[in-house]
Amino acid sequence: MLPDRSGPRAHDHGHTQHLNTDLEVSDWWANELTAGQRLELDEEPARGHSYWSLSVRRLFRKKLAVVCLSIILVMYVGALLSPLITPYEYTAQDLSQSRAKPTLAHPFGADRLGRDMMTRVIYGLRTTVIITIISLLGGTLVLGIVLGLLSGYMGRWVDSVIMRTGEVTSSFPDIILILIFVAALKPRLVGLVQGFEDATGIDWILRLGILDYAIISFALSIFGWFGMARLVRGQVLQARESQYTEAALVAGASTARILRVHVLPNILSPLIVSISAGLAGVAGSELVLSWIGIGVQPPVPSLGRMMFENGSIQVLRNEPHLLLFPIGTVTVLFFCFNILGDAVNDAFNPRAR
Amino acid sequence: MGTYAARRLIWLPFLLIIVTFVTFALLRVGPGDPVQVWLGQHQNDEVRERLRAQLGLDDPLVVQYVRYIEGVVTRLDFGESFQFRGKSVGELLAKRIPVSLQLNLAAIIITLGIGIPVGLFAALRQGTGVDNVVVAIALAFQSLPVFITAPVLLLVFALYLDILPTSGWDGFFSPKIVMPATVMGVPGIAIVVRLVRASVLDVLGQDYIRTARAKGLSETIVRWRHILRNAMIPVVTSFGFTIAGLAGGTFIVEIYFGIPGVGFFTINSLFARDYPVIMAFAIVSTTLFMLANLIVDLMYPLLDPRIRLGAGNVA
Amino acid sequence: MRKIFRILLMAAVLAALVGLVACGGSDEPEAAAPEPTVAATATSVPDTPPTAASEAPAPTTETAMAAAQPEGGSRAPSADLTFDDRPAQGGTLVRLFADPPTLDPHLAGDVTSSVIINEVFGGLVTLSLDYQPVLDLAEHLSISEDGLVYTFILRENAKFQDGKPVTAHDVKWSIERAADPDTLSHTAETYLGDIIGVKDKLCSEDDAAAGKCTKADEVRGVRVIDDRTVEFTIDAPKSYFLAKLSYPSAFVLDQEQVTEDGSWLDQPNGTGPFKLATYEIGELIILERNELYHLGPPHLESVQMILSGGSAMIMYENDEIHLTGVGLDDLPRLLDPSDPLHPQLHRSPQDFDVFYIGLNSEQPPFDDVKVRQALNYAIDLQSIAENVLDGRVSPATGVIPPGFPAYTENLRSYHFNPDLARELMQESEYADALASGDFPRITLTISGSFGAAIPTYLEVILEQWRQELGIEVDIQQTEWATFLQDVNDKKYQMFSLGWIADYPDPQNFLDVLLHSESQSNHTNYANPEVDRLLEEARTERDRGRRFELYNQVEQMVLDDAPWVWTWFSGEGYALIKPEVSDYFLLQMSIPKYRYVYFNQ
Repeated sequence: MLPDRSGPRAHDHGHTQHLNTDLEVSDWWANELTAGQRLELDEEPARGHSYWSLSVRRLFRKKLAVVCLSIILVMYVGALLSPLITPYEYTAQDLSQSRAKPTLAHPFGADRLGRDMMTRVIYGLRTTVIITIISLLGGTLVLGIVLGLLSGYMGRWVDSVIMRTGEVTSSFPDIILILIFVAALKPRLVGLVQGFEDATGIDWILRLGILDYAIISFALSIFGWFGMARLVRGQVLQARESQYTEAALVAGASTARILRVHVLPNILSPLIVSISAGLAGVAGSELVLSWIGIGVQPPVPSLGRMMFENGSIQVLRNEPHLLLFPIGTVTVLFFCFNILGDAVNDAFNPRAR
Repeated sequence: MGTYAARRLIWLPFLLIIVTFVTFALLRVGPGDPVQVWLGQHQNDEVRERLRAQLGLDDPLVVQYVRYIEGVVTRLDFGESFQFRGKSVGELLAKRIPVSLQLNLAAIIITLGIGIPVGLFAALRQGTGVDNVVVAIALAFQSLPVFITAPVLLLVFALYLDILPTSGWDGFFSPKIVMPATVMGVPGIAIVVRLVRASVLDVLGQDYIRTARAKGLSETIVRWRHILRNAMIPVVTSFGFTIAGLAGGTFIVEIYFGIPGVGFFTINSLFARDYPVIMAFAIVSTTLFMLANLIVDLMYPLLDPRIRLGAGNVA
Repeated sequence: MRKIFRILLMAAVLAALVGLVACGGSDEPEAAAPEPTVAATATSVPDTPPTAASEAPAPTTETAMAAAQPEGGSRAPSADLTFDDRPAQGGTLVRLFADPPTLDPHLAGDVTSSVIINEVFGGLVTLSLDYQPVLDLAEHLSISEDGLVYTFILRENAKFQDGKPVTAHDVKWSIERAADPDTLSHTAETYLGDIIGVKDKLCSEDDAAAGKCTKADEVRGVRVIDDRTVEFTIDAPKSYFLAKLSYPSAFVLDQEQVTEDGSWLDQPNGTGPFKLATYEIGELIILERNELYHLGPPHLESVQMILSGGSAMIMYENDEIHLTGVGLDDLPRLLDPSDPLHPQLHRSPQDFDVFYIGLNSEQPPFDDVKVRQALNYAIDLQSIAENVLDGRVSPATGVIPPGFPAYTENLRSYHFNPDLARELMQESEYADALASGDFPRITLTISGSFGAAIPTYLEVILEQWRQELGIEVDIQQTEWATFLQDVNDKKYQMFSLGWIADYPDPQNFLDVLLHSESQSNHTNYANPEVDRLLEEARTERDRGRRFELYNQVEQMVLDDAPWVWTWFSGEGYALIKPEVSDYFLLQMSIPKYRYVYFNQ
């Protein structure tokens, strides 16, 4: 259900499928990269054009990937700027427009409360974007990379502790944990924030769902770091053992340089794949949390909730716009991330060229 | 490799104890009392206290945990359901787990059955328009949420074409499995396609192909042997998926298609705070998950000698 | 039923109301939310006017009681037309249903369980199709002058499903079992507590030792006169007692089976029209005709209830099930006369229920009655009902739903009046706080598990409060198990709840929800005058005077505004296959499958 619940499980269904993949994707990547790296050693990267600029150039040669990258950027920027670009307030209701079909005034139609669907979809995208960024940055990237590096470089008991902890977190039936975790913790946090708001006169932290974002992201991060950590650790171990690294060390290369030249390129494409899977994962998790009743609270729009509420045959038959626009948005975004991930793989992984 | 496997196996029970204890503790400490759920809006303190005592909820946490684990370990007894009183949790789950397993298996067959040929096809057409289109289509399917695929399939195949039943479960070889398995299997195709494609391309570019050729083997034989061997990796991984796929995630499909599997049942139990069911599920799914991971990890090196165990990517 | 707050029910009701998908997959509340009966129980006889719940006065005397019991059972007048048609026998009715939390009548407290239990078991009294208490296993009842002693004579042909006759001893034993503290029934005290001796029987040994009550082994108030005669004595002349006896707590069980067979619930030996042939948890329930049924065996051979869910509307259209509720999104299509399914669409009468937003009167700002009233005046329920909910609900005008005993239209209730609302806010002690931004924080808590999406109407209401009064209300969804505990502990400042009738008496609404000492009063509402009138009404024997008291209470409650009134659930719709006859869509759960037959 929730991202990286550890494991090979690509075949559940739509969302969960995405979210469960990032670990095993990482595994596969790691496997491939074992080979890839060897090739890379044959092929000295830093001559004339750097590995980076070559890769980026290769990436931009792929038209579809560039289109997708642009779409993603537009969607992300649009989502983050949603208050500026949306034509309506996301709470603005007009009951007479309930479930109205798309028109010029409402290009995506109106929802059950006569609220502009386009506005709601854009704000829903913002929810997804914010949670994705926080939990991917916080969980997958920072936690994963730091712990992975620590594990790989320190070895011994540090390695054991980190890896065993990771196995424990990834072996949990995480939906149960998150449910209980949030149910137990949230009321207290809400109380704290309320106290803070009352003391400071700020009144928008809860209303804008910021606490919800934080809690969900935190919960997802706890379970989301292990795949990345394992991957980074593997790369570090590889780099440490390779003759090239020894040679580089002898030649006086710094650890930072070794990391940058030999570890980073190898984790970059899995990183992007993780992010693309993670994005879908976050949307899926947020949806599951909404389903349980602990997700982002209305009226803050959420794509997951929109899809969930309208994901039925009766809506599809009778008011398809309620379902198709949120789903279309999500699908386009996922698709672009997938295409981009694929292209990045091709571009940054010379073997697969 | 023997030591590696042994180390993993020894670690497994400890992992299980940690996971089950934390789950157990969180369930008990967390809010929401199963007895209150049972009583609903009624507030009969007398009955509540007696029920709590009867279910052993008033004992210290550790006592409850040890009692529970003792039952599981010595008698394979997962206790009685709180929600369906008098029913053995073991029996309740034993009926549902095979259903979900078969459904996952059917989904895997669809994923691999389509994914492997398409991946091979794409690899052999590498760099052409066909390759790109095939991969893009697979990715498009992967991006479609179940909330649209399930209703569309139902509408088209059950209602308009009227060739498939809408819901229910009649075992693996019934037409009822087709739609849910498709919904579950299709998103994974893209992963298999990409994986097979990458593996095959990898093989085609390898030095050892040259070596093999130098030994006098025909290139076609060399290629296909390696290609097929690489194509096995997703198969093995998917085998792991099938078992681990139980651990959850099927419940939305189960609801759409009215399948009495373990996913919806467990979610239901979670809301009812049916601790014994949740615990049993946690134990079963964690065990299956870890075993599946272990098996998959052990099989990789057999298929791809470059992968070493105990280092690198495998923790 | 009382436990409307098994969230599942809530999910079903709201899904039915709002047409939301209960669990993603189900496009009809019956499919997934495990309390489906609300959607389809509460509906009317196909093509006949709504059942005449309000027309027939409740029988209060012995003669009326006997008269209400024609040979062949308790049929509503509207059903008599078809009765002599000698309906076809046999056939299997298939529908979706949900797992009943229990099948033990003495433990059940929810709608889903009651639906099955009502078909399999029975008691002395049941409800007729117009919701009057009528005799079931008994054939005669006399009530003493003082209204304290009820004497039942059992039918000669009253038999358990295995052929054993039902005796007065079985009745007494069953009541005592329900009241045995070891049975752990949480409904016995409510439904049987009026019988003398039940409370002593319920007294556990610990409590007796602590001196809280006196332990009794038998229930003194139930006396066996002879094999076929049993006498109940109650503590005060409560006219709603008889209706309470129709609840499963008072159903008769087979002593021999229950005491000797630990797994008796797998094949219970009840007295109802159907036998429980199969129950596979999460999969299937099959009810089979009881040939020995004392009111004549049902027409149907069996009833199949699919428990594993599915997409109800598609299943219906695919001829896999015979009936389904209709969600909001499908309704406009089906209401179109040119739609092929239109002729199969049936209106159902509204449920006996009321939905409200509880305001905790001990927490600011709801400690000021003016604030509570203002909130009521600031919302335009009529418009929400028409535009958002397609007229499937009606604004609640009081506590007692239309058609229910003691319902009256002569109440001063709330209506949309934003000016008055603002005025009231200005007069309230929070006027300054509102102006200066120091208004107390308000959080509306709703139970949200199981895909019960936040009802859209609540979002409208919140928005209207914001627009009309400038009051911001945050909404907080809480997972079901937690919600239940906290609402019972009166922890919530503002919460959304509802109530469905258990038995047809106004006491079941007003006394249960609003008496200051009632456990189901979650708002801390306490008005001594209301309490006094409620207590007076409990034993008032004159029906007119009694209802008057309740109406008085209702008006006082409205004025005190411990709630923001939202809905009576309104009429619903169901689809029923044309070959199914006499599937009565009812407002309360009573045995109903025995009337059903296939006309082809």
